[in-house]
Amino acid sequence: MSISPEHLRYCESHEWVYVDETSGIATVGISAFAVAELTDLVFMALPKVGQTVTAGGEFGEVESVKAVSPMYSPVGGTVVEIHSALVDKLESLSVDPYNEGWIMKVKMSDPSELDRLLDWDAYSKQCSH
Amino acid sequence: MAIDEALLSNATPAWPVVMRVYRWERPTLSIGHFQRIEDRERVPGLRDLPWVRRKTGGGAIVHDQELTYSVLIPSCDNQPSKGHNESLYRACHNSIAANLRTLGWNAQLSESCTCDPRKNENAEPFLCFLRRSPVDLVVGNDNNKILGSAQRRSRTGLLQHGSFLLRRSQAATELNGLLDLPKDLDTFCENGSLSRMPGKEMRGLQSNIGSNLGGGSRIGSSNLELDGWIEFLVSSLKQGVFQLLQIQWQLGKLTDLILDLNGVELTGNRFPLQ
Repeated sequence: MSISPEHLRYCESHEWVYVDETSGIATVGISAFAVAELTDLVFMALPKVGQTVTAGGEFGEVESVKAVSPMYSPVGGTVVEIHSALVDKLESLSVDPYNEGWIMKVKMSDPSELDRLLDWDAYSKQCSH
Repeated sequence: MAIDEALLSNATPAWPVVMRVYRWERPTLSIGHFQRIEDRERVPGLRDLPWVRRKTGGGAIVHDQELTYSVLIPSCDNQPSKGHNESLYRACHNSIAANLRTLGWNAQLSESCTCDPRKNENAEPFLCFLRRSPVDLVVGNDNNKILGSAQRRSRTGLLQHGSFLLRRSQAATELNGLLDLPKDLDTFCENGSLSRMPGKEMRGLQSNIGSNLGGGSRIGSSNLELDGWIEFLVSSLKQGVFQLLQIQWQLGKLTDLILDLNGVELTGNRFPLQ
């Protein structure tokens, strides 16, 4: 299934989340806006499978040519899968940050946390400021 | 450098901008956040140095015959959460370059880049000063890099720190410092403009770590020369950040800020081996 950015929820810090309604698993990545702000990506530190993440807490880091920036989880829960191959093909984030660029999958502890996130319209408005 | 980390993690919007200039008690290697310490085997002379891992990325730096600086900008409204602040790099580096030119060195920004995201880390030189990014400060026709900086973002603020290489270190003899390079008396005209950061008026706090100046080997033939270069760097950074943020600097002490230093060792090998 192809993920469309209009159907995602977003953090103010530019991470996105997609929830599979059948499994309840949340897929997390960073938005095209974030990728553009970061410019040339050289490394990404992923969380570990089994790691607990909290909504709004740091789950990893990304290094661009001139800065290290944190990534914040949109939801809390347990990391059940990470996209290990992404580290060796960070350029795919520039091409397709919403499908090829997924970073981690989380079994959510509190799905109501999604309600605090921005929808596409609100996120787009934020990015335009 | 642990103090830089503590400043970043403790900053609040009420804090001023904080700038520090310091030296190291003994020659020490700082590695970039994602570098592997094992890779120092690639460079003779680094093996026996004490080392720390920075919060910022980039390559490894030998802190020996150099001055280290840091600038902390606390978070404010609408501050980006990701990516680098190009303006801050250029403000600091352009100011230092301009002042070096008045002293006779042909100093300018590199405007070239050795970084290729398609390359793996091992394809890049281990040492920072053998890498090039567009805002690095280089001197002379051979483009010797004598100033490199890196940034780290967090919710609490933006930290930029860098190394101003004054003389060649015995641990990295391939790297010429500024004082190893001849001056160039050609005039150098510079074009460019500095963009201003949006946001509230900011205050600046400048902290010179005078008590640390006696540690380690001396850069010049006298403390007077070292003091002169410290003043040069402080003055240049103040000018650069002032042009960007329009802040008024004042000399202060770290104790003026409330720092939670629990868990931050200020001596010894702060960062754990990985």
